[in-house]
Amino acid sequence: MSVLDANFRRELEVHRYPMLVYALVPLAALVLQAWLPRVLGRYAWFDLPLVVTVYFALGRPTPIQGTILGAAMGIFEDALSHHAIGINGVAKTVVGFVAASVGTRVDVENHTIRLILNFFLSLLSGAMYVFVYRILLGLELEWTWFTELFKAIGNSIIAVMLFPALDRLQIRD
Amino acid sequence: MESFFGRYRDLIVLLALLLAQVIGLAVQVRHSAVGANTFDSPDGSSVRLIRLWANAIVSPPERLIHAVKLGAGSLWLDYLDLRHVRQQNQELQKTIDRLRLEQAALLEDARQGQRLQGLVDFQQKYIYTTVAAQAIGSSGSDQSRVFYIDKGANYKLARDMAVITADGIVGKIRDVFPSSAQVLAINDQTSGAGVILETTRIRGILRGNALGQPQIVGILADNRIQPGEKVLTAGGDQIFPRGLPVGVVEKVVRDPERENFIDVIVKPAAHLDRLDEVLVITGTEPRFSTEQQQDLTTSETLMGAEAAAVKEQKKASAIMAERLPGLTDPNAPAATQSSTPATGQPGQTAPAPAVIPEQGKPKLLQPQHPDRFTPSTAAEIPTDENPAPAQDTSPATTPNAKPKPEQPNPQRAEPGRTP
Repeated sequence: MSVLDANFRRELEVHRYPMLVYALVPLAALVLQAWLPRVLGRYAWFDLPLVVTVYFALGRPTPIQGTILGAAMGIFEDALSHHAIGINGVAKTVVGFVAASVGTRVDVENHTIRLILNFFLSLLSGAMYVFVYRILLGLELEWTWFTELFKAIGNSIIAVMLFPALDRLQIRD
Repeated sequence: MESFFGRYRDLIVLLALLLAQVIGLAVQVRHSAVGANTFDSPDGSSVRLIRLWANAIVSPPERLIHAVKLGAGSLWLDYLDLRHVRQQNQELQKTIDRLRLEQAALLEDARQGQRLQGLVDFQQKYIYTTVAAQAIGSSGSDQSRVFYIDKGANYKLARDMAVITADGIVGKIRDVFPSSAQVLAINDQTSGAGVILETTRIRGILRGNALGQPQIVGILADNRIQPGEKVLTAGGDQIFPRGLPVGVVEKVVRDPERENFIDVIVKPAAHLDRLDEVLVITGTEPRFSTEQQQDLTTSETLMGAEAAAVKEQKKASAIMAERLPGLTDPNAPAATQSSTPATGQPGQTAPAPAVIPEQGKPKLLQPQHPDRFTPSTAAEIPTDENPAPAQDTSPATTPNAKPKPEQPNPQRAEPGRTP
């Protein structure tokens, strides 16, 4: 299967974007994530910062940028919540690292791969969140997996629509 | 060594970031006295700085989006959709006039109620000062049910102030920034509000569950609790004033962790998912606003005018009573009136008229059968040693009196007061 070949990704060009895109797209994701739940209510089953983290992590040749971006996005989300700062940070740091590591080995232009990647990385993010919250910190937290499942589905659908739009912003030689 | 860092650079960066965040988490979470870890204490200075930065970055775009949304809405409502507005305005104006008068009367009652409560040292608090605010954003996470409002320290908001809507309670302020504030909603898992069921009077603590539903936890199983029962604030948490609507009981479920305990799922009265405008209770001291004070003054003025009108009516009645036939004897000698008390209270003499001329005084006739209850003669009960005065009598008991056309005497007793 060519899309899962380890050498396949290395032959592809590295995605590069204008600096404005690097700054504004994560910011827009954070703002919309904070604003849209007010409009959609309990049906806000998505995590836009996670989707953006996955997208930029997949497009870089090394996991470092994805890791740092995931940490920054997670800490920013924690800062907007009333929980301890670092819970989302740890979860999205791991997600950014995994996404970037996987992105060097698969064809990230493939829509099916994108959809599946976002689905499982969303579940990974949720699992990491629960792990940090309940196991690492020992705090009480009620948890429903089907909410995370819906959120993973929502992230996958948004990623399939959003990634091609963001692809148009990249700098092509 | 260099090759080691080069080879494991990605992993080292990952571990460094994770380690830094875990250390930061360990600093923030504390071990409580009851043996559980908590994160409810106020933020440290460094953590608060991060929250302040994040809020400073996100708030301006949120305000912009909110302003655009409001602008578009007001453009339609204020300039386009104006059918029947004039008629509605007239009807509303009439309603306002009526309600202002009613409110003035209610304020009078409220003030009296406060005085009475002060007498009995009643500790119930009332809402007197609120600040209206717009909800502009949220945390974006269903694990953290907080939202942001567009008022902050600039409006003297403070931590733990109650946030409500006209429908019911919403939450409490958790953090205050210069021009915004973070509100912890009542359906968050870490929130807590003292509530009471209206009919069964069962008290409990309200907090959110994983699905974002408010639920009353920690109460014993009770068959009396039925869906539809109203839930009110109990007032014991020092945040929400007593008696505010919280919602209605939606269903009762068994507590999964404790035997014989139940959780009461509450349908909130306020629309927690789609909040636009909220009220922050900034003061519960007994204090009226300027507008309420004006209404109260208006009420008192109206009441004063009403009292003056009643007085005038009584005065006119007195004049008419003077002119009615059969009340006085115009042929009675005027000089004897000065020695007669005007009112007939036993052992009490009426004040002497100072400026009324003798001719202007009414001349009361002698009753045919005076007794101790007869006005003006009770002070001098006819006895053998002290016979009754000859000309002092009650007008009502004089059947053959004729009207006296002279000027009225304001010192004269009112007809209605004659027994």
